[in-house]
Amino acid sequence: MGAYLRRRLLQMVPLLFGISIVVFAVIQAAPGGPEGALLGTGRFIDPSVTLAYRHRLGVDQPVVVQYVRWLAAALRGDLGVSFSSTRPVADMIMERLPATLELMASSFLFAAIIATLLGTYSALYRHSTLDVIATGASFLGVAMPVFWFGLILQLIFSVKLGWLPVAGTGTIGATSLGDHLKHLVLPGLVLSFRNIAGWSRYLRSSLIDVRHADFVRTARAKGLRERTVVGVHAVRNALIPVVSVMALNVADLFSGAVITETVFAWPGIGRLFVQAMFARDYPVLMGILLMGSFTVIVFNLLADLLYGVLDPRIRYG
Amino acid sequence: MRRLIAAALGLTALTGCGGSARSSGDSKPGKKILRVAYDREIDVLNPFTSQNLVDISFSMIEGLVTTDETNRYVPVLATVIPTRENGLIVTKPDGTVDITWPLHEHVRWHDGEPFTAADVCFTWKFITSPHSETYNREQYLGITGCRTPDDHTVVFTWDGEYSYYGGLFEAVLPEHLLGTMTPEQIVNYEPYNRGSKTIGTGPFKFAEWKAGEYIRVVKNESYWRGPTYPAIDEIVWAFIPDANTRLNALESAQYDYGQILPTQVKQVANLAGYKTHLVSSNSVMHLDLNITTEHGRALFGDPDVRRAIFQAIDRKAIAEQLMEGTVVIADSPINPSSQFHNAAVRAVTLDPAGSKRLLDHAGWVPGPDGVRIKNGERLSFILLNRAGAADRIAIAQVIQSQLKAVGVEVGFETLESAAWTQRWRSGRWEAVVSLWFLPADPSLTGLYACDGANNMTGFCDPVLDTVLKRSDHTFSVAERKQSLDEAQNMLTDLARTLPLYYNVTPEVVSARVGNFRGSGTNFGSFWNLYSWTLSR
Repeated sequence: MGAYLRRRLLQMVPLLFGISIVVFAVIQAAPGGPEGALLGTGRFIDPSVTLAYRHRLGVDQPVVVQYVRWLAAALRGDLGVSFSSTRPVADMIMERLPATLELMASSFLFAAIIATLLGTYSALYRHSTLDVIATGASFLGVAMPVFWFGLILQLIFSVKLGWLPVAGTGTIGATSLGDHLKHLVLPGLVLSFRNIAGWSRYLRSSLIDVRHADFVRTARAKGLRERTVVGVHAVRNALIPVVSVMALNVADLFSGAVITETVFAWPGIGRLFVQAMFARDYPVLMGILLMGSFTVIVFNLLADLLYGVLDPRIRYG
Repeated sequence: MRRLIAAALGLTALTGCGGSARSSGDSKPGKKILRVAYDREIDVLNPFTSQNLVDISFSMIEGLVTTDETNRYVPVLATVIPTRENGLIVTKPDGTVDITWPLHEHVRWHDGEPFTAADVCFTWKFITSPHSETYNREQYLGITGCRTPDDHTVVFTWDGEYSYYGGLFEAVLPEHLLGTMTPEQIVNYEPYNRGSKTIGTGPFKFAEWKAGEYIRVVKNESYWRGPTYPAIDEIVWAFIPDANTRLNALESAQYDYGQILPTQVKQVANLAGYKTHLVSSNSVMHLDLNITTEHGRALFGDPDVRRAIFQAIDRKAIAEQLMEGTVVIADSPINPSSQFHNAAVRAVTLDPAGSKRLLDHAGWVPGPDGVRIKNGERLSFILLNRAGAADRIAIAQVIQSQLKAVGVEVGFETLESAAWTQRWRSGRWEAVVSLWFLPADPSLTGLYACDGANNMTGFCDPVLDTVLKRSDHTFSVAERKQSLDEAQNMLTDLARTLPLYYNVTPEVVSARVGNFRGSGTNFGSFWNLYSWTLSR
């Protein structure tokens, strides 16, 4: 286990290095430069201003030079300074991270609980009314565009019923914990809907397979109660493929929900990414994308390790 | 099952305790708080180096002048705008010009330091530095010197007559804070860019910038206009980038002010407690054709072909149906609210039959597929669209179908915003529907002169050049009006561009807000924030 972990961690170094090259190249390949925001306002811009701006940012240098400069700083732990806000990238990411983590973690937990309950129920009572409804709703959940769903929820719960706020994280002039939680409900719900749909389907089909496995029959033959058979033996094993899907989705916790955060004006990493994208703010984009890549790699590793916990037959060599 | 769902909801709620939850007391109840649903998060607060429009900054930072809803200059830190008539503009025997700006006394920066004429000279030095990155730096380069006969008088020496002198210095920087820094250091100075040391002389002081959420400013208790101003305690600009979300937020009465899209106006027509103002945004939506490329020159080099294309486009349908009657058809680039607008100009009259005759006459005859041909070249071009600009894409589609009816083929190429801007600026395109924001001073030189910094079309007419340059170098409003009238006529005669409509910004304002007057210039509708009121 120790050697396995060490090897996987060592493999991360060249992997991240490779990712940084690809990401840098892709970002630079997008047409348009950081001066686009200035020029895009439709005002009359003095061309020498654009040149001075590009020179200060260093984007008038060849891409290779820019990459080496970025890498040298990154190796010292310096992710650079945002082109548009003139602030350190690390600070900008760190101040946006809590909002993203909060939104994603709450929607993740909510989705995990509901999906487990729904998936288990659907597998145990196949073709029941609830199973049919859940199956239909799952297809709807996966197919529904997030921005549209978000706006419809705003229309119903905020504009028509007036129960919940439309956007933001607090009511101006009257912030409180309760008020903040009310702001969390709609974006949290929108984000969890797709995961509930996907995960409950995975669990349903996985549990249907497992229920006919030999060890489940053995457990029944031992005279265990059906609740123990399902809860301890079947569901636990059925969760293995679901967990790997969930673990990959955990990486989203750090990279943010781009569309949901924009529709609900939630101040997370996803919105920062969109802003940086339109402004061609290369250092911010690099920072966010690398952080996202890093978390995907780490959670892949965690998912692999978790298999061993869920299924003792899996060994690491 | 129900209990489990309730437990799950509770857990969700509990995890919400961290992150951006804030304690109450950020804004005490009972205060008069103006809540603004703002369409973007700005980059920096320095009004000279921001890449965005900087109306938020102007609540804190004042300049010598601002502009009102009719595009006229209104003095702010200056007591009066210099003119020849009031004796504050004097041309010297060597042709140079002294322009004297008398300044208000007893004005203090937010940190208590006095505002003086030296701050204005310092601001001039910063802007004209090659490193200031001020978008209209070029306009300041005619100033050759700055003098301060006393603390409340500043005199600029210009190397000649520049009509736009009155609209410059829309902000002033504090010398006592930034005076020891180089221009590069000022551009990168985070405390001034970000708020902790953003000081101005304005009616509001910086309080807080919550990244991704809002900027909050509070009343300047010792504002120089006296204790009556401002009448509002706090302003919060909440960043809500999505237009539909902004509309929903306004409809649920969460904000006092917000900008929406022209196509959303009908939805708020009956919104109780709000009024929608169609504020002229001092901008003109137009169709430009380009002769920079060989193909473009072959197609559009003949003014009759351009005229034929323009005649086939139904601008009335675009303004009244597509934009739902919220906008006004444009006949010249200069907005009717400006004193320099030429009301007699008619850009073009819709005449598809006449369009066909003109094209026939010019030698473009219908080919086998209906598209006209001349010397083996098809009358077919690509219109460059900007992804996400729904209004412009819809206009492009109307143009495409209307030109098809006269035998002109229009294809589309759609690029993402920054990529579109780069291509547009490079001149490598054939046709484009785009929008120009004119400053309060409507100099057309940059747009239409042969060497105009913003002329990307390849068009060049020496006579128009002379007229445009003449309009830029006079202090006489009458002379300038005459030149600009002539220029607007020539743009039509040359079929240089097709103005489509004057764009508006629909601004939804709560009935609680008083003294809202609107403005479509760089200052935006917040130019007179000091006098806004807010009833409970």
